[in-house]
Amino acid sequence: MTEVSPDDAVAPDAGGPRRLVAEYFRLQQWEIPPTGGQERFSEFGGRAPVDDHQRGAGGGLRMGGLLTSVDSIGGILAGLSVQPDWIVTTSMMATIAHLSHRGPLRLHGRVLRRGRNAVVTGLDVVDEGNDDLAVAAVTMTSAVLDPGGMSLEFVRPVRSPMPPPNPDPQTPEEFFDIEPGEGPMTRLHLADRLRNPWGILHGGAVATLVDVAACRAVAGERADGAHGDPRGNEHAVALAAGDTVIHYLRPARVGPVEARCRVLGGRGGRTLVRVAVHDVGAADRLVDLASVAVLDV
Amino acid sequence: MSIGYPPALHFLSDLGIEAQVGPGSDATARIRVTPHVTATDGGVRAGVLATLVDVVGGAVAARVLRPDWMATADLTLEVVRPAAGPFVEARATVVRRGRTTLVIEAGVFNVLDEGSDVTVGVEGLRPVGWATMTFAVLPGQSPTSNLEVPGELPDRWAFVGDGLDRPVVEALSISVVDAAEGRISMPVQDYLFNSFGAVQGGVMALLGEVAGAEVLGEAVGPGGNFVATDLRVAYLALGRVGPIVSRSRVLAAQDGGPHRSAVVELFDAGAGDRLTTVINVGAMPAAAAAMGSGW
Repeated sequence: MTEVSPDDAVAPDAGGPRRLVAEYFRLQQWEIPPTGGQERFSEFGGRAPVDDHQRGAGGGLRMGGLLTSVDSIGGILAGLSVQPDWIVTTSMMATIAHLSHRGPLRLHGRVLRRGRNAVVTGLDVVDEGNDDLAVAAVTMTSAVLDPGGMSLEFVRPVRSPMPPPNPDPQTPEEFFDIEPGEGPMTRLHLADRLRNPWGILHGGAVATLVDVAACRAVAGERADGAHGDPRGNEHAVALAAGDTVIHYLRPARVGPVEARCRVLGGRGGRTLVRVAVHDVGAADRLVDLASVAVLDV
Repeated sequence: MSIGYPPALHFLSDLGIEAQVGPGSDATARIRVTPHVTATDGGVRAGVLATLVDVVGGAVAARVLRPDWMATADLTLEVVRPAAGPFVEARATVVRRGRTTLVIEAGVFNVLDEGSDVTVGVEGLRPVGWATMTFAVLPGQSPTSNLEVPGELPDRWAFVGDGLDRPVVEALSISVVDAAEGRISMPVQDYLFNSFGAVQGGVMALLGEVAGAEVLGEAVGPGGNFVATDLRVAYLALGRVGPIVSRSRVLAAQDGGPHRSAVVELFDAGAGDRLTTVINVGAMPAAAAAMGSGW
């Protein structure tokens, strides 16, 4: 029997390079067992600081970082509900209420439905430093899978402390090895530290890539004279990713990984972008499909 | 051509949905835009568009999965400008077919009677909305389905009814119990059933739309007139008994813009208050929504 912490579940080679994704956003986690002997599933809590190098144009934790933490909490929550099987995230539907955060952010997740093939979890995020102001509500679906040879046993209730601050902070683009650029295509290099225990690109890396790519696509189109900005664009505005839907379709294993964007239109300072993520080294196959509402801020 | 569902006296029939399935993994479905299905921004209500994309997605899924069947597990829709017609068409295609799920995306377009896109400058080249759906694959002989899956599905069909003679919210007998709390109620009737004998998924999305717009409008003051622009729907259980009732909570305004969000939960009050559906609803004031452009 192997006993592991949630961080180990994300990265079983503790101390190795894979731990870096879990540590980058410094997420603290704790299990909330059901009370009174009820036959329910545990709930889960989490807390993430909002470090300055992770703030986006909206003033708070960028959407990609937020969804990385949500994926971690929702993943452990769903996984524990199906043990000894395990899960893989198949979709996230995120509604972002506030882009500006004082921090830390507090997360709470619960199982909404556990079926034979899938688990649906609901997660709420509040700004603990701002009177628990609502930050986001997320519904996440995970597929139940056979963990293969990987035995996942947990010390219950599960708890893991907040990792310490990084003395040499990197921006999300730097950390996730996203190429600089602008326009409809954004590329990520699939470094080993960005892989999960199954060797595939971490869901948080996908969320961050989608975030960066969608904002670049809108900025690029506004700068493109062929389309122009119907509002005249006399004053350039900053952009931040808001409401986001991600369908994790297939694993990205080879890389590089490209996010190809199409700006679909919008209203009220909200522009919808379709993002198709391809694993270029795996016959260019489509691995993720997302939509992002990019907000003027 | 008829496929045996829905009956003539049915919400989908009254919408007059016409559908066509392509030879591959794609399909189209359209409805005529009438005042009975539009919101105050002049475009088709998000909940009605959700119904349309659910139908077109189901058409693709039925073709691709046969002899198996399917149930909608989640649906997302974002409307980027008013879907004002004269017809609105949803065009769906398969994104991924797995062993237990099927993922489909659909664009929504304003079209003319003969089927060509309505074009207004460069914006005519873009959709008025975009949707995704995940369907759970059900074995054809599943005991959870009372449907006899037809061996052959037609390439074209139309749901033909008398048409709506009043606004869709009235036709579905949706009543607002407490706007400030986003509490609404709707009786369950055969008129709304899907192939499982439960309330059709698009109707559940419409309930979420109504409750969300109500609670968000009330949050800004009496008479606040909000139009839903985006829906993210998770289907957890079937609504069979009724009435279907809602509880809602306002999340907040997104910083600096007119868009606001709410979470609506739908319960089957007659089935022990079972949680059936969670819907995240985005909305904005009707005046802002009506000004939809390329941005």
